[in-house]
Amino acid sequence: MQARSLVAAACAAAAIIAAAGASEAKPKPPVADAPRAIPLPADAIKRLRSGDLDQIKSALDDVRTSARAGAPAAPAVAELLAHGLSPVLTQAAIDTLADTEAEAGSEALSVYAHHRNVELRRAAVQALTRTRGAPAVRALRAALSDPDPAVRGLAATGLGNMRAKDAVSDLFVALDHKVAEAAASIGQLCAGSECERLAGKLGSVPFDVVTSGLDQVLFRPATDVSDDVKVKIVGRVRELGTGEANRFLRTVQDKWPKAWSARVKQSIDQGVLATSGSPGSGGTP
Amino acid sequence: MRRAWLGGMGLALATTCSACGGGGAQGHFASFSTNWEDDGGVSIARVWQRVGGATIAPAADVVIGVGGHTDKLVGMRLDGGGRWTFAHPIDARPVVAGEVVVGSGGGEVFALEAKTGSVLWRRPTGGIPLLGAGDDGTVTVVSFRKAGAAGSVLLAVTHDGQVVQQLETDRPLGAPAVLGRLAFVPWSGQYVSVIDLASGDEAARVTLREQTSRAWTQGGALWFGEVGYIRFDEHIRDASKGKATTVTLPARELPGSPKLMPSGSKPLAPVADAEDKVHIYARPRGADSGATIEDDRWYATYFRIAMGFGAGKGKLAWVHMGATDYVGGAAAEGGLVLCDEQGKVVQLDAKTGGTLSEADLGEPVKACVVNVDGQRLTGAPADAKPLAQQLSEVVTSDDPQLVIAQKLLLRELASAEDDVATKALVDLARDPRTSPDLLGDARAALANRRNGATYMEAALARHYDFLKDVLRPPPVGPIAQALGAMKEKGAAALLASHLFDPADTDDDVKQAAAALAIVAGPEQLASLRQFFGMYRASAPNDDVAAAVVSVGQALVQLQDPGGASAVTGAAKDPTTVPYARERLEAIVASLPPTPSPPEPKKK
Repeated sequence: MQARSLVAAACAAAAIIAAAGASEAKPKPPVADAPRAIPLPADAIKRLRSGDLDQIKSALDDVRTSARAGAPAAPAVAELLAHGLSPVLTQAAIDTLADTEAEAGSEALSVYAHHRNVELRRAAVQALTRTRGAPAVRALRAALSDPDPAVRGLAATGLGNMRAKDAVSDLFVALDHKVAEAAASIGQLCAGSECERLAGKLGSVPFDVVTSGLDQVLFRPATDVSDDVKVKIVGRVRELGTGEANRFLRTVQDKWPKAWSARVKQSIDQGVLATSGSPGSGGTP
Repeated sequence: MRRAWLGGMGLALATTCSACGGGGAQGHFASFSTNWEDDGGVSIARVWQRVGGATIAPAADVVIGVGGHTDKLVGMRLDGGGRWTFAHPIDARPVVAGEVVVGSGGGEVFALEAKTGSVLWRRPTGGIPLLGAGDDGTVTVVSFRKAGAAGSVLLAVTHDGQVVQQLETDRPLGAPAVLGRLAFVPWSGQYVSVIDLASGDEAARVTLREQTSRAWTQGGALWFGEVGYIRFDEHIRDASKGKATTVTLPARELPGSPKLMPSGSKPLAPVADAEDKVHIYARPRGADSGATIEDDRWYATYFRIAMGFGAGKGKLAWVHMGATDYVGGAAAEGGLVLCDEQGKVVQLDAKTGGTLSEADLGEPVKACVVNVDGQRLTGAPADAKPLAQQLSEVVTSDDPQLVIAQKLLLRELASAEDDVATKALVDLARDPRTSPDLLGDARAALANRRNGATYMEAALARHYDFLKDVLRPPPVGPIAQALGAMKEKGAAALLASHLFDPADTDDDVKQAAAALAIVAGPEQLASLRQFFGMYRASAPNDDVAAAVVSVGQALVQLQDPGGASAVTGAAKDPTTVPYARERLEAIVASLPPTPSPPEPKKK
């Protein structure tokens, strides 16, 4: 499930860039390569409430297979979690709620985001990034303070994916506490000055971590992040004058959609040129 | 005993001693001889009659530090007079005797005016180490340990530098005192011989029934002792029968097992060691009916901690913590004077431990000798605090060297009634810097508190929070035990919140649940049901399973129909973890039978 959600997130990001490249002002909705939905079996909810472990297990499998179409079963799965299941079935129930992507599952998952079993906690946090809603955002913001580093990282990534703009300040605190995943999420969510603040981390936070966020900022549409901000960010990277700065700018240069801002493109080109002589830059462009 | 020239030992002390013949004068016997037979106190009674009525002038109230690289003495009067410095190699701890400071080093012994540091006299010694000294205002008597051999040397020198006696013996002499031209010399740990300085003969001897290696004058009286205080008074004649006027300190546990006085028969190094830093101080006081301890207080130091105790039962009265280790001190009338290794001198109030005054020798010291006789410490203590607060400050101090004392003081804190004590225990138990040696004790003490619920609840309000750098959860388990025992219903919500904190230990969760079984109210039902469902089938261990049982008990006690039904169901459900299921079955079995619904009336 984890791999599946990460792939989904990567696809979504790629789709944003592709769409933005086609038309910066009006990005087209991502074209999902979604499998055809399998309808939820009629007796699935009844089996979930049967109290019989085998029936519950088979019903959870069916609901997962139905994915979003299994959303009507989410309350019944949440009831199971509230009633209590063995660790194995608990994990299955959490994963099932994730696959339904039903906000109705978020409250139950929020509770399990505090479970003493760290594996269940991680699963619940990942699931929340898919079920979404206000309870999910609350739970993920809380999970940034979890004792487990993996939970913190998943929560940071989840907040970015959920477009939880209110969480940017928390994400900056997380970044300052070495939650590297927070950088990319900040890049997805930041407003102008916040994006510049992220760029200001260059030098104090590892380059790769900061640029994972700056990359997100630069490829957000102009309606979301202004050219001025993007030019400033490129300038901050260029000022580093290092080989890694050159390599990053060249990557951006290569990916920069042709239809996008010429002004930003120019600053990127100049940045690449200015840093091309830096040690480790890999030569002139 | 031989009357010896120190020069005879290869030393160069000149003497004017003219009474160096053998003993045998009427009433006299061989000094320090071991074939002496107890005279039943006759000889010492004679001495008492001779000098008992003499007025003993108070000794100088001074602090003497060994400074530099043990190559100088720094003196300071406690009455606010100026400081003085005397440059000289120092090979043993200096001694204050009367108005004189006696020191040794560089192959000689010297005497200085205690108030000014002016040299009174100096004599070559060949480097034998100084033991102790006494002075009656005209004559200074100094004892030395023989170099490389058993035995001692006793030297009596007038203030103008004339040697009046010089005795050598194979016996281990202690630190002497002088009164009326008689030297009172403790030796072999149990005798005090009275040497007539005019003749050099032993005029009297007394056998003491307590370890004794020191004689000194203080508070207008002459005292003998090492582990206690024996007064030279009319009862001294019965000393061999154990009936001398004696005062001792009550036995009690102290960190580092300090001594009241170091042995007077062993030289003290010029540099203070652990025994100087871990020390007991007290001041005997003569009374019509015998002797007591001044102010009913005695004191102990443990590095930079000073403690005051009641003289009766040794109950802790106060604790004071300095900036650096105390290396010397003396009990005075009204308090305690301590000198630390930075050369700071502090006067502490006997009653409260508050600071009465502070002074400074002007430089760090290797060792420090404090002598207080006539001066009474007075004034309003500047920083007097309640004992619980003092203890709190000491036990929460982040200083690994103090852990042994902190463990002891923690027990004192645990028995304090004050709420502040609870706060200190909470702080200690949640501070990540707390030594593991203390943490267990602090948690145990906290669990046994029955007051200070406010502080406990404030602690429970904090949870582990990575982003806020709260990286140690509060001591939930002990606090829960205490709050449960206090039936503190106001804490129920906070306790319930800790059921869901994964940073808390399993035992914390177990204790929180156990407390909730006592204090939970209807407001906690939702949390209780949630926890019960969450863990009844997935409890990772017996502690969490025990928490499930406690929560089940709470649900039943609160007569929550949904909760009770969940408990009944869980008791039968094979997926419920066995530990919890067995115990839930017992709870369900103890429930009163559900009344049957009334049968419909037949028409």
